Amino acid sequence: MRYHLGMAYTIEAQNLVKTFTVNESGKGLLGAVKALFSTKKRIVHAVENVSFGIRQGEFVGYVGENGAGKSTTIKILTGILVPTGGVARVNGVVPYENRRDNSKNIGVVFGQRTQLWWDLPVRESFEILRVIYRVSKGDFDAMMARLTKGLGLDGLMEMPVRKLSLGQRMRCDIAASLVHRPTVLFLDEPTIGLDVLAKENIRSFLRELNGKDGTTIILTTHDMNDIEQLCKRLIILDKGRVIHDGPTEELKKRFPHDKIIEVDFESELASLPLVPELEPIRREGKKMWLRHAHDSSGLALAIGKLASLYPVKDLSVREPSVEIIIRSIYEKTAALPGYAPVEKAAK
Amino acid sequence: METLKIYATLALLSVRARMEYKASFLLFLVAIFFFYLAQLGLLIVVLARFKEIHGWRTGEIAFLFGLATFSQGFTTLFFNALVNFDQMLIQGEFDRTLVRPLSPLGQVVFSRFEASTVAHFFLGTAALYYGAKYSGIEWSLKKDLFLPFVIVGGVMIQSATRLAVSAVAFWTLRNSSLVHIVVFSSREFILYPVSIYNHGVQFFLTFLFPIAFVNFYPAQYFLDKTGENLFHPALQMATPLVGAILFALSLYVWKRGIGHYQSSGS
Repeated sequence: MRYHLGMAYTIEAQNLVKTFTVNESGKGLLGAVKALFSTKKRIVHAVENVSFGIRQGEFVGYVGENGAGKSTTIKILTGILVPTGGVARVNGVVPYENRRDNSKNIGVVFGQRTQLWWDLPVRESFEILRVIYRVSKGDFDAMMARLTKGLGLDGLMEMPVRKLSLGQRMRCDIAASLVHRPTVLFLDEPTIGLDVLAKENIRSFLRELNGKDGTTIILTTHDMNDIEQLCKRLIILDKGRVIHDGPTEELKKRFPHDKIIEVDFESELASLPLVPELEPIRREGKKMWLRHAHDSSGLALAIGKLASLYPVKDLSVREPSVEIIIRSIYEKTAALPGYAPVEKAAK
Repeated sequence: METLKIYATLALLSVRARMEYKASFLLFLVAIFFFYLAQLGLLIVVLARFKEIHGWRTGEIAFLFGLATFSQGFTTLFFNALVNFDQMLIQGEFDRTLVRPLSPLGQVVFSRFEASTVAHFFLGTAALYYGAKYSGIEWSLKKDLFLPFVIVGGVMIQSATRLAVSAVAFWTLRNSSLVHIVVFSSREFILYPVSIYNHGVQFFLTFLFPIAFVNFYPAQYFLDKTGENLFHPALQMATPLVGAILFALSLYVWKRGIGHYQSSGS
């Protein structure tokens, strides 16, 4: 699953390293002037020795906190950045050495910025992409018919991009990345800022694209529902390193008896609850998430204790979501069962 | 051929997008016109007072102005997008050009093609035409043949400085002040014969930042100027060569810059 030399992968990352040099600049005008003359530089290790292999047709979630190195990896794989060390290959092409060949095979969506022509009707953007990627008229019309249906683009085509809502724009952006029928699709936070319905639309389309067309998809996201609903495999990144790589299901099974208790307190607690069976994992104001890691027989007792000791307003018990699991992985990387640094197996 | 068609389509589309803001478009046209008019006006005032500058008479100065303005106008027509190139980097817009099967430079230039820069081109052409007319050049076959080479060379020199200076943004990210100094302010130097400056400046404009080849040296040749050879008489014929070398160098810097590109966060 992870990375094995000699396997046939659609997307390969082999010991990728990317370091940035950042000029330190102080605050204010004086700081800026000082920075002009100082040679003080900070080296940022955005990606440190990342390896993975992704096979044709996989749908992989690539997650991590802000600054973990997700976007940097995606930018290396799409040919935007040249890595400081290691090798990347997409369909056998080294993206940053052969940008043109790579670009014909891949589709890229950056959720934060559009690739559409801002001031022109949506249709014009698709038309120019058809020209840029040299797609024949017949192929283009067939693909557009599919995209229009799958992403619900009816009625949007004649609108200027700047007048689209975020959800509409995102659907158009995803369609635009697929005009040339790429076999690999990179999605960098495609659901950011969207409402539930828009997210659902996009998810069902992506599911179909992956299932029917066998398009290999890498998705970075902060939305754990995206991961749970779409990605059969999850790669978790922390501080530029892969800290987990495996089936999403497997990750859930690692905590078979865990229950997550979501508690609303009457008032914000001054200290953490002192029920030993319940381990606090997250806290937001009056709300708190506690984990019960033992078998469920003791659960009722633990909750009873909690309720008698603290002013509990509301409480619900649920299966741990992937988000909670990921959070607990971040917090105790070393203690996680089955965790090992990515190793390379011999052929 | 196919590629040219793609770029033409890109350019056309960006012009159409620009036309969404007609008032801004027209204002820009007016601004360009007055910019050149003001520069020409200043020259006329100076010449009316002194009759000649360092042995260069009004007509000859007009030819200098014409050569400089034409090559700048032609350069601006194509490379206008580079003026704000650092903004493309800062806002991450440049990323997009790297994931498409076209040259990144071609995309930068043609996807932000500014139709109003045609005004630069027309004004430059007019300046060159009248400059040549009033300077009393004695045309010969050799001069006729050499003129297009000088023009192409001059355009290449100006394009090269723009490209190289824009590429600096790959390292420094922000470079708009550098662009304004090098691209716009440098023009002031070559509105006058380079021979009026001291040796240091002459050397600088000839060998380090060789914009004297845009108009001064070739003008010496066309106007049969003798008696004020700077450095070496062969320089009068060097414009096409200098242009080709500088352009190749700037493309190299640009390519190195893309390799050094750090992209922006998120």
